[in-house]
Amino acid sequence: MTRDSMLFLGFIGIFVILNAILLVGGYLDMSWTSLGVITAAGLTVSLYSFLYRDNPLFKLAEHIFVGVAAAYIFGIYWYQSLYGEVVVRIFGIGDDPATMTQRLLLLVPSVLGLLILTRMSVKIGWLSRISFAFVVGVGAGFTIPRYISAFLLSQIEATIRPITMDVDGLNLLLILIGVVSVLVYFFFSVEHRGVVGGISKVGIWFLMISFGASFGYTIMARLSLLIGRIRFLLDDWLHVM
Amino acid sequence: MERLLNIDRRIIFAFVFVGVAVPLLIDFSFPIKPTEPVQRVYDEFERVASEDDPVVLLAFSYGASTVPEMQPMSLAILRHAFSRDIKVVAICLWPEAPGLAQAALDQVAGEYGKEYGTDYAFLGYKPGLWAPIINMGQDFHDAWPRDTQGTLVGDIPVTANIRNLNDFNLVFDFAAGDSIEFWWIPFGVEKYKFAFSGGCTAVMAPDLYPFLQSNQLRGMIGGLAGAAEYEKLVEIPGSATAGMRAQSIAHLIIVAFILIGNAAYFASRRRGAA
Amino acid sequence: MFLTRTLPTLLAFAFGAVAVLIYYIPHGVAQEIERELSLWLRILYAFAYFLGLYSILNLHWTRIQRRQGGWAYSGVAIASFLVMFLFVVYNDGAGPFAPQASAGGYQWMFTYIHVACSSTMFSMLAFYIASAAYRTFRARSSDAAILLVAAIILMVGRVPIGHAISDFFPEAVAWLMEVPNLAAKRGIILGVSLGAIATSLRIIFGIERSYLGGGDE
Repeated sequence: MTRDSMLFLGFIGIFVILNAILLVGGYLDMSWTSLGVITAAGLTVSLYSFLYRDNPLFKLAEHIFVGVAAAYIFGIYWYQSLYGEVVVRIFGIGDDPATMTQRLLLLVPSVLGLLILTRMSVKIGWLSRISFAFVVGVGAGFTIPRYISAFLLSQIEATIRPITMDVDGLNLLLILIGVVSVLVYFFFSVEHRGVVGGISKVGIWFLMISFGASFGYTIMARLSLLIGRIRFLLDDWLHVM
Repeated sequence: MERLLNIDRRIIFAFVFVGVAVPLLIDFSFPIKPTEPVQRVYDEFERVASEDDPVVLLAFSYGASTVPEMQPMSLAILRHAFSRDIKVVAICLWPEAPGLAQAALDQVAGEYGKEYGTDYAFLGYKPGLWAPIINMGQDFHDAWPRDTQGTLVGDIPVTANIRNLNDFNLVFDFAAGDSIEFWWIPFGVEKYKFAFSGGCTAVMAPDLYPFLQSNQLRGMIGGLAGAAEYEKLVEIPGSATAGMRAQSIAHLIIVAFILIGNAAYFASRRRGAA
Repeated sequence: MFLTRTLPTLLAFAFGAVAVLIYYIPHGVAQEIERELSLWLRILYAFAYFLGLYSILNLHWTRIQRRQGGWAYSGVAIASFLVMFLFVVYNDGAGPFAPQASAGGYQWMFTYIHVACSSTMFSMLAFYIASAAYRTFRARSSDAAILLVAAIILMVGRVPIGHAISDFFPEAVAWLMEVPNLAAKRGIILGVSLGAIATSLRIIFGIERSYLGGGDE
């Protein structure tokens, strides 16, 4: 038996013994909730076993998750969207108040939706292009005026406010310098030499601070998730907190 | 020195694990001071509470992967809203969110004795990323015709008189992705001009500062640390506050590793140059 | 050719142009069109989910059929899909044409399998990001040193221990986030939005057609 196989069996053995202790000690009982906690703990520890190296337990947990996730989302889409909003409304099932015009109009996205599904076929897959043209076209059309207003105009307006002779004014000036120098750095049509090179260098400093902040925040986010999972293991499962 | 630079990564893993687990097991605390973006969210909810028959829209735009960061935030906001008798309409813009939103609503509504229909309503999920936001901006009942139990929104007291997004005293989004920056601000706030605040994962937080300054976003709670600050403001310590011990120690461990790594790097470089 | 390429391009132009124009027209009819288009869009997204579902199930089914390496795991994925699917249809006894029950096997599987696995997977990145920080986060140049110092100040100052050590850390974090970080992120937003507007225009005018996929069939 290899060292890894022994570790694998030892791991399962410890998991079984721990759960037996928790059940006998009355920390967990034979309810669905306790069974859920044991299942979640088993899956959590199996996934963490990847930190040692890739192994069958990790793969098993990973694939269970993939299947469950796909079907869970089906449950959400089915009643709340497709059945509840399309089937019920078009056929006027139950107390649905939709007018005839609304029902007829709903046929359009329904047909376009069915056309999207033709993508699964090699022969008639081209029909889905009509639906994609709608999605992409409307998406592009909705985006243009809103991005101009929400991002370009509003963000520029917030950058070029009157500068006052105090700390806030100095900060506003720094923001203005930062935004301009970052934009100069992103402007690749001009060679970054001389004055342009100097300004883009300042832009890089601003970007580096921003990337450093983002990196620090990312570490913070991942650790928060880890704290959540370890809390679950120590508190909900092992009851040692 | 080379050995220090090529240390087995599993040793680092072990330090991270211990750095998180041990502070969770030992009872101690650090003072938590709310930062300005979090204080602004609190002030927004207080403003709403002072208005007539206040109602807020809470959008749950996060999934299971960010539960440890986002769920404490949702609970803290719901506690603030219900404790100040603010009515809540909850929707989901992320397909995994309904189960999480339902759990948060059930828990906090139970704590404050709030009644479904008159004090809060849960309308579930609609696909389409930002498309439901435009839909709501034009006609709320068209975007969310029924709640998750199949009741028409016109028959639910809390949603019966809501015509569009402007009828909410505040809209608040819990975001794991870019829903605040690329959905709500351009497709909602920009055109319909409603009061908007948000909470997000720590990963997203740095990207939102430009919108705080332009006031397109009136307040922001960033990550578990932000949630802990909000718990401090509403004076109900929860799992975010408890998590700050582990968060603090783990950060110090990682900073120590970065400093040791750099010291070893410069020492080996100096030796190489010599 | 007309049906497969020209017609979709014309449709994208027509719908795109309408979607732009109605934004600027405050008339009730324009607003009604905007509402209707947004409704259609979100219904289409619901159908698109099935394309994703087909894709993932087909991938695993093909692996099983071809007995590819690790095909048994694909069997596990399909089996767990079917179990969860049965819970969706059963719906705690109410059946598939009733609102999704907030109790029962479906919720149990979500809470104890889906949430547990999903948050664990993402939390594992904490270990890898710590390891990567130790190995690669070096002050090799002045730019890298700025990045490193900013990250360290943030990691100390953004958590309560930073307050406990010195007021310098939280104050430095507030300034870093609200001035240099804000300026850089604003520069990025302006660049990204210009890019998005340009791409949208290219789509509407039929220059960008990658959404049609390859081939002329």
